[in-house]
Amino acid sequence: MTPGILLLAPLSLLPFVFIVAMSLSRVHLLGGVRFDFAGLANWARVFTDPDVGMAWVRSLSYFVLTVGIEMVLGVVFALCLWRLLRGRNAVLSLLLLPMFVAPVFVGLLGRFLTDSTFGLYAWVLRHLGFETDVLGSQGTAFAAVVLMDVWEWTPLITMIALAGLSSVPLSIREAAALDGTSGWQLLRYVVLPSISSVLLVALLIRSMDAIRYFDIIWVTTNGGPADATKIVPVRLYEVAFRFFDLGYAAAIGLLMLAVSILVARAFVRLLDRKGLAR
Amino acid sequence: MTTTTAGETSAPSAGGGGTSARRAGGLAAATPLDRGTPRSRTANKVILAVGLAWTLVPLAWMVLSSFKSKTDVTAPTPALWFTPTLDNYVGLFTGANNLTPYLVHSVLAAGLSAVLAVALGSLAGYGLAHTRMRGKKHLSFWIISTRMAPIAAVVLPLFLIFRGLGLIDSIPGLVLAYLTFDLPFAIWLMSAFFAELPPSLEESALVEGCTRWQAYWHVVLPLTKSGLVTTFVLCLVFAWNDYAFALVFSGPSSQTLPMAASQLVTQTGIDWGQLCAIGVFVVVPMMLAGLAVRRWLVTGLTLGAVTGE
Repeated sequence: MTPGILLLAPLSLLPFVFIVAMSLSRVHLLGGVRFDFAGLANWARVFTDPDVGMAWVRSLSYFVLTVGIEMVLGVVFALCLWRLLRGRNAVLSLLLLPMFVAPVFVGLLGRFLTDSTFGLYAWVLRHLGFETDVLGSQGTAFAAVVLMDVWEWTPLITMIALAGLSSVPLSIREAAALDGTSGWQLLRYVVLPSISSVLLVALLIRSMDAIRYFDIIWVTTNGGPADATKIVPVRLYEVAFRFFDLGYAAAIGLLMLAVSILVARAFVRLLDRKGLAR
Repeated sequence: MTTTTAGETSAPSAGGGGTSARRAGGLAAATPLDRGTPRSRTANKVILAVGLAWTLVPLAWMVLSSFKSKTDVTAPTPALWFTPTLDNYVGLFTGANNLTPYLVHSVLAAGLSAVLAVALGSLAGYGLAHTRMRGKKHLSFWIISTRMAPIAAVVLPLFLIFRGLGLIDSIPGLVLAYLTFDLPFAIWLMSAFFAELPPSLEESALVEGCTRWQAYWHVVLPLTKSGLVTTFVLCLVFAWNDYAFALVFSGPSSQTLPMAASQLVTQTGIDWGQLCAIGVFVVVPMMLAGLAVRRWLVTGLTLGAVTGE
């Protein structure tokens, strides 16, 4: 196992040491990289900067909306697929396709479909009586980037939930059926409880990735209009690669890292509790 | 048991997917949840039809638009009927927007990082699955948090390190950047696949006089072929689809396909037909690769926490 770990160590630990150092410095890029120790200045800013505060609020609502909708839709589709007697695999394969689309294309495709002059979805909306430039106004732009994420990642939840459903023991369903349980009762008291741990895995996996990615927003609205879609990673890229304030960006990045580590911790705990630790 | 991994293979395979379960017991077909009333069965199909439409319309529209001429793509009334043209595809390899260098960069960066990740990750994963060393928990946790670290947080220090080492705008730089998430992913996932093998197999190989390496190479690896392929495909997809790293680390001599696409987006206007053609070109191979390993996708994408069909 050594070669892999030996390569992973510099790839993981060195950047970590760097980002901590960066977060405590003013980083100069011109004339050779130089770190000027700045104490906790960047950290003080992170916790007082209203822009970053708003970005966290938006991140949180973006996260809750995308992951929430994905969980609900994903489970509904999985239940429907599970009840489908024929063609289940074919339908599942088709439903899974968005997962393999590069997020940057999900964004570009979203722009194409909602373009106010020739977009297919904009055209449909116009005929339904909504005459708006979808990505041009704050509310609709936010809804659009949420729905693009939902389009791409609902299949993941569907797939995981279906795997859980497929392993609900037959005997339980038979017993419930013999007892005369109605479909809803069966769902509420038998099926959902027995896939709850699988759903938790799905939730945690999806959460970790939701914190990771921001490509869709980057290529559609770039944080706009009027910052409506400026979630934390977008703000970070802006601070780092537009304003070149790398030290401050590092402090923002470390906070993000802390959040994702908390989620990863929950994931590993869950595996542990199930006796699945390796 | 709904979640399984590590040496508990009997549970999921007994589940074996709804279909085989139904085959096993005729009674199941009579349970209300499987069949339901005719009305609920229709509702079921309607929901799936809506789901399929929601999923497939954007993709179908991308494919259709890639065969449209410039005027047809931007027609104010979207048209299903038009005179198809191959101009957009021909344009990908001729003229100003020649895609070939981008394609080469993408194949090299994604391919090399996936190969390295699987090669090193399977070795490390094998070790991780079998080691009884102290601190193993911390080691696994470190590996998974490396995989899950937000890209934006990883990009920053790597940017400075790569600048220092002259790795900006180079294929090796991109490969290393992709390894930051592909390698921990491969280690973690391969160790899940290895842990599912009965240890007795390897033990008997060792008793027969194999060295540890021979046991790994001749006994263990061939048995996890599907795991290896799945890990490779997923690593490839992650790296191939990356945009955030390429945005910062790539330059004229290393730009990848997603960068080519975003460069078509300019202030003066976007050639959507061409963009759709690139989209088809980028997306279809990954879909085919992904569906080829569909049986193991659940295991792969849940990092071994849930075993599928």
